[in-house]
Amino acid sequence: MSQWLEDVIAHAEQPASNELAATWLAEQRNSSLKKLKEQKWPTRRTEAWANTSLVSVESRNAKPTPANITSWDKPAIPGLDSIDIYFVGGQLKTDLSTFTLPEGLSIYTLQDEKAEAVAASRFAQIKPERHIFGLINDAIANSGVVIDVAENAIIDTPIRLIHLANDGVENHSRVLVNVAKHAKVTIIEHGVGEEDSVNTSMSEFDVADNATLYHYRFALFTQKALHVGGCHFQVGASSYINSTIVAFGSDLSKLNIDVNYTGEHSNVDINAMYLLAEGEAFDLQSTIEHAVPNGTSNEKVHGIIGDRARANFGGRIHIHRDAQKTLAQLNNRNLLLSRRALINTKPELEIYADDVRCAHGATIAEIDDESLYYLLTRGIPRSQALIMLNFGFIQELINDIEIDPIRAWLTDMLSTRFKSMEVS
Amino acid sequence: MVNMLSIKNLHAGIEEKNILKGLDLTINPGEVHAIMGPNGAGKSTLGYVLSGRDGYEVTEGEATLNGQDLLDMEIEERAVAGLFLAFQYPVEIPGVSNMVFMKESVNAARIARGQEEYTAGEFLKLAKEACKQVQLPLDFLKRGVNEGFSGGEKKRNEIMQMILLQPSICFLDETDSGLDVDALKTVADGVNSQRSPERSFVVVTHYQRLLDYIKPDFVHILADGKIIKSGDASLALKIENEGYGFLGLNYVEEKA
Ligand SMILES: Nc1ncnc2c1ncn2[C@@H]1O[C@H](COP(=O)(O)OP(=O)(O)OP(=O)(O)O)[C@@H](O)[C@H]1O
Ligand SMILES: [Mg+2]
Repeated sequence: MSQWLEDVIAHAEQPASNELAATWLAEQRNSSLKKLKEQKWPTRRTEAWANTSLVSVESRNAKPTPANITSWDKPAIPGLDSIDIYFVGGQLKTDLSTFTLPEGLSIYTLQDEKAEAVAASRFAQIKPERHIFGLINDAIANSGVVIDVAENAIIDTPIRLIHLANDGVENHSRVLVNVAKHAKVTIIEHGVGEEDSVNTSMSEFDVADNATLYHYRFALFTQKALHVGGCHFQVGASSYINSTIVAFGSDLSKLNIDVNYTGEHSNVDINAMYLLAEGEAFDLQSTIEHAVPNGTSNEKVHGIIGDRARANFGGRIHIHRDAQKTLAQLNNRNLLLSRRALINTKPELEIYADDVRCAHGATIAEIDDESLYYLLTRGIPRSQALIMLNFGFIQELINDIEIDPIRAWLTDMLSTRFKSMEVS
Repeated sequence: MVNMLSIKNLHAGIEEKNILKGLDLTINPGEVHAIMGPNGAGKSTLGYVLSGRDGYEVTEGEATLNGQDLLDMEIEERAVAGLFLAFQYPVEIPGVSNMVFMKESVNAARIARGQEEYTAGEFLKLAKEACKQVQLPLDFLKRGVNEGFSGGEKKRNEIMQMILLQPSICFLDETDSGLDVDALKTVADGVNSQRSPERSFVVVTHYQRLLDYIKPDFVHILADGKIIKSGDASLALKIENEGYGFLGLNYVEEKA
């Protein structure tokens, strides 16, 4: 058992923590708390945690009561015009009432009774129950928003949810997004932290028929900022989801992605990249449930692992018996920059339908000699050519990003990080 | 006067296989030399050996560029010294933008010459001009190097690099193959625009057609790893009409 989990459960059981919650939320919390109490704290023998240790979190004292932090950094994405919402130290810091939102877009706090119509049937229902940190977040998340995009609403301005972890605090924030039929929205989850902290940010997305979601998750947690988060998607018919994940690593950083198809002819693209330096660790687990026919998924995961860093990737594609004509692709490519760098990769294909096309694979990349030769014949110094080619591996995925300022910002930030990894 | 490129008795090969077997070639500033010859004769190999590609070993002979020992230099040093190789099959490098790639190439040469590097803005202007000159749409600058380019587009991209790099000797390996009639003219115009008394060209081709546009000063036949005949532009015409038969090449036997 873990001291931290005991504290979390004790906190969730205090009457005070529920008094603050809206009725719909209080009910969901109680239900998740019950399930949480039935779960065992994972050990290295628990399959989902076999390669990621919880030592850094299990013996600490939990601080689930939000900290009242008054000043914080604002991570900018230059040139990006977005609706920014801050979560700092477990508190929602942005006064939602100050926004003039475009028509068709509503944003509620997690405590708002008005969110009930959207949230009561979705909160904690899209996210699979097996994630223990998901249940923890259900039970204690205080800061969060419910975003509702009405039918046919095309929201051009991205909504950016910024999760910040400061020294010693915990940040349990929660996002629920409903994208109704024929609607379109862009959601950016931007998490940053390096100081000692615990972060569980969970997000759930219900993407209805003919709707479009562009999603970004930046898990830029490093050093002592512990992070176990999740992005969980439910996809209706003829809809499209495009998700870009960017992660660094810390003493503990893990992200679960779940996609569940409920309607046919939908298409999901996931591009994930991780750049791990020094002794950083990052764990990405994705599960794609092709439960209905005619779905398409394409997941590309590219990682660069330097020094003593460790990456763990599990990509499961589950094609149910009825899911004929599924087209599923999953590719994990890794570049190891040092002998001590480590990757565990496990693409898993489980197919129960017979008329499907699937491709999956994992590779440990090496520099392509012919490409290197080409760059050298143009006079580019060898050291620089190697940087260009190695980073090209990540740049490939950055180039797919739709929003120019995000592309430019990531190119800049990731290439700077990469160059510092090369020399160390 | 120092020869621009001087190759003497060059023997080279890959692993155990000898490919170049005593090749001599001298090129002076401003000259255009065409090299023709049957498939597998060693034409591309000559380009690789001159550029210093890994795996190609020189067993005998010498090559100098402006009096400097070429074979002793690193690949990137040869480029900076003024050697440019347009590839028969340019490689695709997804993830490295064509623009960044060309800017880094040009700036590498500038740094070596002690010149200021171009800023992104300055280079963009030059690149756009070069791109127009080879008639590639401007979005080709943003794409990955040769990524998804058609055969002909790759060749034009090679010529664009040549225009930007301003090398002193250009080795063009079958830059004309895979080009449609208009593209052939575009590429030839691109090459002709770069002709100058200080710059020389080696044009490897199978077709006389290209030489109608790029008038060579000399034509050489490379067969079985050697230059077996040299002449003026009329030699190319003769080959176009008669094939290599008159040189007795159909009967060349592998010597032990
Ligand atoms: N890696 C290799 N291993 C073994 N033989 C090789 C290798 N590369 C080239 N060769 C051989 O060397 C010879 C010369 O090849 P090269 O590509 O230089 O010919 P070429 O004159 O350019 O022909 P083409 O007109 O078809 O382009 C050929 O017989 C070829 O098969
Ligand atoms: Mg050839």
